[in-house]
Amino acid sequence: MLPSQSTARDLLHPEVLAGLKNLDLVARSVVEGFLIGLHRSPTFGFSQEFAEYRAYAEGDDPRFIDWNVYARTGKTYIKRFLGDTNSHLMILLDASASMGFGGPPVSKLRYGQFLAASLSFLAARQHDAVGCMIFDEEVRDYRAPSSRAGKLQGILHCIDSAEAAVGTRFDKPFDKFREQVSRRGLVAVISDFYCDAEDLLAGVRPLAWHGQDVVLFQVLDQQELDPQFGNNVLLEDLETGKAIEVAPQFMREAYPKRIRAHIDSLAAAAASIGADHVLVNTSDLLDEALRNYLLFRQRRK
Amino acid sequence: MGFLAPLFLVGALAIALPIWLHRLQTQSSDRQSFSSAMLLETTEERVHLQKKLKYLVLLALRIALLLMIALAFAKPFLNRPPTSLTAGAAGTHLILVDTSVSMSRAGVFDQAIAVASQAVDDVPPGTLLQLLNVDDALHIGSSLSADKAAHRAAISELKVSALRLDFGRAMAAVDRLAESFPPPVTLHLISDFQGSAMPVRFADVVPSRVTRLIPYVVGTGSPFNWSVKYVRETAEGLDVGLMGFGDRERVADVELLLNGEVVETRGLSETGPVTLHFTNLQYEQGDNRIQVRINTDDDLAADNQWFHVVENEPPASVPLITLNRGGLPVTYLSAALESDAGQSYHVEPLVIGEFDARVLGRYRWALLDDIGAIDEELDHALTAYLQNGGNLLAFSGIRAANSSVLPVTGHRMSAATVGFGGNEFQSPEQIDTSHPVLAQTEGWHTVNVSRTVPIEVQAADQVLIRLENKQPFLIERRIGAGRLLLLLNGLDNRWNDLPLRPVFVSFIIETAGYLSGINEISKTYTTGASLPLSLVGNASGQVVDPDGNTVLSLADTTRAQQINLDKPGFYEVYTSQDNMLVAANIDPRESDLTRISQELLDRWQDATARLDGIVAGQPGTVEPEPVELWHWLLFILAMVVIAESMLGNTYLAPLARANR
Repeated sequence: MLPSQSTARDLLHPEVLAGLKNLDLVARSVVEGFLIGLHRSPTFGFSQEFAEYRAYAEGDDPRFIDWNVYARTGKTYIKRFLGDTNSHLMILLDASASMGFGGPPVSKLRYGQFLAASLSFLAARQHDAVGCMIFDEEVRDYRAPSSRAGKLQGILHCIDSAEAAVGTRFDKPFDKFREQVSRRGLVAVISDFYCDAEDLLAGVRPLAWHGQDVVLFQVLDQQELDPQFGNNVLLEDLETGKAIEVAPQFMREAYPKRIRAHIDSLAAAAASIGADHVLVNTSDLLDEALRNYLLFRQRRK
Repeated sequence: MGFLAPLFLVGALAIALPIWLHRLQTQSSDRQSFSSAMLLETTEERVHLQKKLKYLVLLALRIALLLMIALAFAKPFLNRPPTSLTAGAAGTHLILVDTSVSMSRAGVFDQAIAVASQAVDDVPPGTLLQLLNVDDALHIGSSLSADKAAHRAAISELKVSALRLDFGRAMAAVDRLAESFPPPVTLHLISDFQGSAMPVRFADVVPSRVTRLIPYVVGTGSPFNWSVKYVRETAEGLDVGLMGFGDRERVADVELLLNGEVVETRGLSETGPVTLHFTNLQYEQGDNRIQVRINTDDDLAADNQWFHVVENEPPASVPLITLNRGGLPVTYLSAALESDAGQSYHVEPLVIGEFDARVLGRYRWALLDDIGAIDEELDHALTAYLQNGGNLLAFSGIRAANSSVLPVTGHRMSAATVGFGGNEFQSPEQIDTSHPVLAQTEGWHTVNVSRTVPIEVQAADQVLIRLENKQPFLIERRIGAGRLLLLLNGLDNRWNDLPLRPVFVSFIIETAGYLSGINEISKTYTTGASLPLSLVGNASGQVVDPDGNTVLSLADTTRAQQINLDKPGFYEVYTSQDNMLVAANIDPRESDLTRISQELLDRWQDATARLDGIVAGQPGTVEPEPVELWHWLLFILAMVVIAESMLGNTYLAPLARANR
């Protein structure tokens, strides 16, 4: 039995999800809650949306044979849906030290884990092959894309076990990713992207050239977007350990402009290579991120 | 650089405290983690650096504060190139010449004069210099200046005195003098360095404010000296103690002069202590001048004679003021006073109303058998007598008991009765044996007292004896310059049995010695001693020294309290009451010409220099001089404290505002 709409929406709140220890349950709750809301939406369809017919070929699942067409024409046709067009989602989750920032209730990494798990669950529900890679300066964990039912639990476990550690690099992990994945598909990169746009492009551009459809989920905490400090404070970089004393006036006035400019530069860089950029605030509901993903997926068809 | 007290450097470990505190403070600052410093303003980093720098400066100031304290206690010093005689460094040079008796040894003082002149010449031009000489006191020969001619002239004026030198007292005086002189102070000590001039404690000869001691020993060699050590009176005549110093055997003649006439001559043939006995001496009445003279060619002639005074006085008269010339008091007191073997007295009764009170001024002390018997005129005369230094032993008879107020003292009668009732007797119980009159008397407890004059004791009274019933029995009061001993009882068999007890004789004799001052008077002194004139007479007088010169000026004849006996010989003291002869002799310790050892002299020299942190060298040698830095450290310390306070206040001000 599906939860009521309001109850399902509550499950999209990060603070509610933070109370759930099981990432599988988190993903299931998010996707179900998201889909309930989505059915009410006049704008979006989902995977059951009809796309085309094609002639049945040996090996196709006979469950998808449109028997009505066969009755009228005597020929067997397979009914294809929108969700069947992309069958490959690779999730790259940044587990660097900076992702450990944020909260309560959830850090950026935990929010990224929720997002990654939800995407995985959503993709699996659409019978997409799902894989994941956890990285910081190196590749920490990697699960190859697979659509087999039992693989999802392994991917969720891989995502769940990620812990914020050291610094971030995009070139080295992404090179390794290209070596591992030969099929084209969707690549969702979940990170806070504290790097130069050029450095990001250097890592992502080869993926685009490789034919991957890339979506960048930039996860930021509200304190990063709109920091609130009453006094001078000594801020210590989680990755480098460098400490800088900042004045509250700077954090109120100059810093928001800088972070906005940084986000814009990343978005522009992503656009330059055909990638999509989605800014995610850890205080927001998860459905917005999922909705962005679906829009992106829909555009790629 | 070195440290005089390096152990205090352990205190520098205290700098761990501010370091630890600053570390805590640094850790507890408002530090927060942030995802990335990539977008933060770099200028804010400078602000933090400035704050951190301020913090480090504060830490450095506090560390410096503790280090300064530890260093100051460790007494650091710097070795500075020395100021030597030849180097011509600034400072003060003191030329100190020994002018004690021993320096009169043949040729020694001339040598000392020559050495002093040479020392003045050796001091670099422009150096401050002062000439001093010392015997039993320190004398300034010239004022502090760089004028060598003036100092040489002062040296030529120096003369040997008849006084003794004590190096301990001399160095203490130099130390006090050097306090006001520009340092470093160099002391040139020119002396024969007699061993007998050294004090008991070596530390007393080490002056703390003298940077360098340069000794100049004069009069070397093996001196030979005869001296008179003492003259003592015996029942048969006189004993004369002689002392010979040195290894040589010399024949000497000893002459005994009595009142200027040679009465006997003895020969001496060997050194060492010798005692000569002179008998059958025919003394004249009064003070006799005894002079012992050694005729020899020893090295020190000044101590070859000794002066002594032998008293051959008739019994001294003491007035007894009484109403009855033939009464018991006259009998009792005459018997007691005439029994004194040392100084006999003749009691001279003065009947009240029959004598002129002005005659009391002739006597050092007087007796009064009943203080209640005197009239008003005599009351005033006795009070004036006491005010002027006269002394009185008064008894309280029946007339005193019948008075309401005692004359002279003004004592009022208390409520107690004269008699104790029936056949009751009281004995003296509380006796102040610390008083000179009572110190030698015994047997007071055997005295029975049946009556007493009950008075109210006043604040000026010193109660010497109390009876068993706590009533005063003997009191003393000082009136002006005189003393009054008041026995609150009469010399009457019906009142007490005191005159019949042995203690009465000793009491009267001790009282006579006490009130007459005879016990305190000495006839023989050493040169340098002071003769208290109050002991020889209570009125103005004059003193004639051995050379026949009057010692006191006209003004001093009435106000001088004492005179200094600085010449050997006989001093004649004339007062309105008495004429007296006093002998002064050179201190026998000056006769021993043995010099202190070179080792002791070197130790003295080293100790003087070591007090200032350096090791002394020989005259003219170059030794480093330490410059103590602790006072500079204290100055810097004060600056650091101020800086730390200001910086700390600046640092804490924002926190204070934030707390408000």
